[in-house]
Amino acid sequence: MAYQKPIPLKNQDNKPYWDSADKHELSIQKCDSCHKYQHPPGPACSKCGSPKLSWDSFGNEVYGTIYSYIISYRPFLPGFQDDLPTVIAQVELEGLPEIKITGNVLNCNPDEVKIGMDVQMFWQDINEERALPQWKLR
Amino acid sequence: MGDISNRYAIVGIGESERSRKSGTTPLHMALVAARNALQDAGLEAKEIDGVMSYSTGDSCSSHQLATYLGIRPSYVNDVMGGGSSTEMLIADAVGLIEAGLVKTVLIWRSMNGSSGKKVGRGYDPDMIQEAIDGGSFIIPYGSASPSQWFGMFATRHMYETGITREHLGHVCVDFYEHAQRNPKAFLNGHPLTMEEYMETPYISYPFTKHDCCVELDEANAIIVTSAERAKDCKSKPVYIMGISARECHPHAHYWSDLTQVASDYVAPQLYKSAGVQPSDIQVASIYDCFSWVVLRQLEAFGFAPRGEVGDFVAAGNLRIGGSLPTNTAGGMLSEGYTHGMNNVLEIVRQIRHEYKGTDRQVENCEIGICTGWAGPDIAGAMILRN
Repeated sequence: MAYQKPIPLKNQDNKPYWDSADKHELSIQKCDSCHKYQHPPGPACSKCGSPKLSWDSFGNEVYGTIYSYIISYRPFLPGFQDDLPTVIAQVELEGLPEIKITGNVLNCNPDEVKIGMDVQMFWQDINEERALPQWKLR
Repeated sequence: MGDISNRYAIVGIGESERSRKSGTTPLHMALVAARNALQDAGLEAKEIDGVMSYSTGDSCSSHQLATYLGIRPSYVNDVMGGGSSTEMLIADAVGLIEAGLVKTVLIWRSMNGSSGKKVGRGYDPDMIQEAIDGGSFIIPYGSASPSQWFGMFATRHMYETGITREHLGHVCVDFYEHAQRNPKAFLNGHPLTMEEYMETPYISYPFTKHDCCVELDEANAIIVTSAERAKDCKSKPVYIMGISARECHPHAHYWSDLTQVASDYVAPQLYKSAGVQPSDIQVASIYDCFSWVVLRQLEAFGFAPRGEVGDFVAAGNLRIGGSLPTNTAGGMLSEGYTHGMNNVLEIVRQIRHEYKGTDRQVENCEIGICTGWAGPDIAGAMILRN
């Protein structure tokens, strides 16, 4: 059956992130002026306003800890109705704590999810071209 | 803003009926609210020369409202915005009057928030993904409802400060109790006990339906003018001691720093401009789209130190009779939800002592705070006196 949930839309600002994700690789935007990372990516640095931006690859071995989370018991979007409750977490990247990435923590018991838990990124192939970064408990 | 302390006043307030299904348009409801505010102030529509509103694309325009009030204001403006917009527009009105562009301003908000467009629901997922900053990073994960977004902040804040679900429950139970004293509150007749609160299933952990505002069809209106012109009004003026229009937190839409919210930046300048401190505040309207945001704002505005706000609410301080009676009409959690404006109407009524002789009146309250908070990213607030 075709993937029912929303698929990330690529645009001018986020394309490098999602192109990398499709290749099972994490890319984070970096400011060439103040050298700070930011996520989500944007048209300029949210810290200093510089338009000089580049992308750093963090490969496909990505670890982090749960910074915050909610457990959604209602489907607010199509496709999630068969997948409740849904754990939505903000994950703090290991070695890059200023970056938080939102994702689902999959294949877990939602009641056992806690802040501070160690997680690892994996890429869920959602169709022939696209892949979605997700998290699993370590 | 310069020193405008006590030189401007809210002289009229009005509202429409509130319901789940108005059966009418935002324009019709806005006209009812505006006429009620005019009647309250003892003003004729032609005395209004500024009309301003906010919406999230779910309302009509100030030009339309002015047309059907039969007036030709010299200034109209409609801004995109939710919570904190009321305070911003009141500050804008003060600035416009100060600059001599207008004399008396009608500020209004009308929405079929239940039967029409609902916040976070009923949108095409691709449209909302493009409309929200960073939308592609949350929508594919099922995160599209404010209850989920605010819940993410709440979970972290609870973890850092020891706030529990019972503490969230105290906010809900106390506001629902206030709604039982307010015949016009939507949840009047629906009291809530802590036991019921704790047994209610989650919508988005840590929130149940009781933690979320009650979305309704409703319009509200406020009239702002100078203290000088307020003397000619029928109503008892409520003076603006200090106001902060709409502070922006620098990086908020990245949602990565939960230790700072925009309210943290509003509070010091607000108290300084009003010349008072938290201990002088006798009644409060705290923006309550979700129970948790009340707790975070009580911290930000200095009513309880970080880490102690749970104990502060558990001690009953938010109740009528407590040290800081808060959202005394039931607030957006149980009276109704107009993106903050109904909380302004209530604090004006309290400071006027409009409920004198009833169990709804906060005894002898002279000074009140009203906060408007859309999220961690932007905030506004004002301090009012009689």
